[in-house]
Amino acid sequence: MRRRILDIVMWSLFGVALALVVLPAIDIIVGILAQSAGSWSPELLFTPTSGVAGGLLNAWTGTLMLMALLLIMAAPIGVLGGIYLAEFGSQRLAQILRFGSETLAGVPSIIVGYVIYLVFVVKFGWSFSALAGGIALTIMVIPYIMRSTEAALRQVPTNLREGGTALGLPPSLTIRRVLLPMALPNIMTGLVVAEAIAMGETAPLIYTAGWSNSLPTAQLIHQPIGYLTYVVWTYINQPFSQAHQLAYSAAALLLVLLLLLIGLGRLISARASRFNDRFQV
Amino acid sequence: MVKVTETMNLLSTEWEIERLPFPRPDDKTVDRRNGSHRTPPPIESQNYLNTQQAMLDQGVSKVQLTDLRVRFGEREILHGINARFIDQRITALIGPTGCGKTTLLRTLNRLNELVPGFHVEGRVELDGMDIYRDVRDVRDVRRRIGMLFQRPNPFPQSIEENIAIGLRAHHIVPRGEVHDEVERQLTEVGLWEAVKDKLSESPFGLSGGQQQLLCLARTLAVRPEVILLDEPTSSLDPVSTQRVEDLLVALKSRVSIVMVTHNVQQAARISDYIVFLYEGRVVEANTATEIFVNARNKVTEDFLTGRMG
Repeated sequence: MRRRILDIVMWSLFGVALALVVLPAIDIIVGILAQSAGSWSPELLFTPTSGVAGGLLNAWTGTLMLMALLLIMAAPIGVLGGIYLAEFGSQRLAQILRFGSETLAGVPSIIVGYVIYLVFVVKFGWSFSALAGGIALTIMVIPYIMRSTEAALRQVPTNLREGGTALGLPPSLTIRRVLLPMALPNIMTGLVVAEAIAMGETAPLIYTAGWSNSLPTAQLIHQPIGYLTYVVWTYINQPFSQAHQLAYSAAALLLVLLLLLIGLGRLISARASRFNDRFQV
Repeated sequence: MVKVTETMNLLSTEWEIERLPFPRPDDKTVDRRNGSHRTPPPIESQNYLNTQQAMLDQGVSKVQLTDLRVRFGEREILHGINARFIDQRITALIGPTGCGKTTLLRTLNRLNELVPGFHVEGRVELDGMDIYRDVRDVRDVRRRIGMLFQRPNPFPQSIEENIAIGLRAHHIVPRGEVHDEVERQLTEVGLWEAVKDKLSESPFGLSGGQQQLLCLARTLAVRPEVILLDEPTSSLDPVSTQRVEDLLVALKSRVSIVMVTHNVQQAARISDYIVFLYEGRVVEANTATEIFVNARNKVTEDFLTGRMG
């Protein structure tokens, strides 16, 4: 009888904890979709912002451009750094690297933005630009990518690592052909989460990317760029209902992009793990 | 000990193995209960050095260990091992759990170097060459001394690539001949018929026994001179076990085999020599027949009869 009561109490606690996590998430999603529902139209997606009205074309294309820049810069550095930490990590240099990366992960994003502002926007004279924004985001997410890549590689069964070594394969070949294929799904997940984190960032971009009503171009410096989080952050404070509508729409669009990103990540992971899906640990 | 009819043609699937009657625990010739009248020498005795000499007299030693000490951090696991592994013979390393069998095995191809804190003293010689001191390229040592693990560990690549990767890395055959060589290796372990239509598929779809055979083919493909086996059949079913054992016996014509096994019956079935380890020391080393019929040490006998370990 006592066991039964304990059982019920524990399950109730789990239920409450679950509800505390899930309900706010549902509330946010439903709230945003409901608030923005009235303003969904092709014009919203395909016209740029003008003042506090217009559409979000400049913002969502700008966000995608920043995400692409981020992927190009952060993915190679972060993944290679993670490989280094996991495979050669006992050396002194690796310890320093890990310490630096952990410190960087703890720096508030607004400070990262401010540093980039001082160095690139002011000192290098790039002014507000896509590249400065991309670099700020890159610095934000590199520690995250490094850590998730390192963890992904460490999760590969020792058995496989030793198999490659015992066959006399060079370490680089073992990493490329044996460890990375096993770790790739987790590395991809890490990249997707990193992109998602960056997509939701506002603080480091305000100082670095600025804001623009026009569409992004191939000019990466000397020209500011628009992005969705700016609309959410700024327009909600404007005393116009049109601006509020736009802010909610931007938030909804962010959610949709996020879901697409996660779906894309899943798809790539599934393809990447063609050979390791049935590995028996 | 093993005769193969006609020539030792491994490509032919029709080879037969004629086994001499190995003493088995249930054999009448080995009456262990009467063995206790002998006074076994103490563990620390130099008895094994004499029997090692006997082993050497019967063949060329391929791998030789001299006063091998291994420790991880502060903890010494192997306390001065002297042993010889004879060319073209199967030597079984047996002993109770934790006696250092696997550590010894993994020291022979420098695999323990992956473990932090690993420290080795003494000599491990392959054909007279110290693999820890005289070697420039450890990868070539590992090619010459192959290893098959306790659990099958095919690489997350296609079945064909699992074999081809070693062929290419060690330049075993010219690039154009890799595919044919893969077929040869898979045929040799008797896997070709089962996998020829799914060479580009994942190896993880194969059964455990097939995966282990694939791993054996992968190891053999790079032309090893010695093969280390860490309980190679402990995760396999009896039929696959039989298959692997038959292959090992057939392989003796070109490699020396060192096998860790927990299975005394298996040691009796296929090994020519036995090295019995206990608490990081060689207690007894001799021909399998001699060990099973006439163990000189009480500890060995206790282990073989199941009174220990």
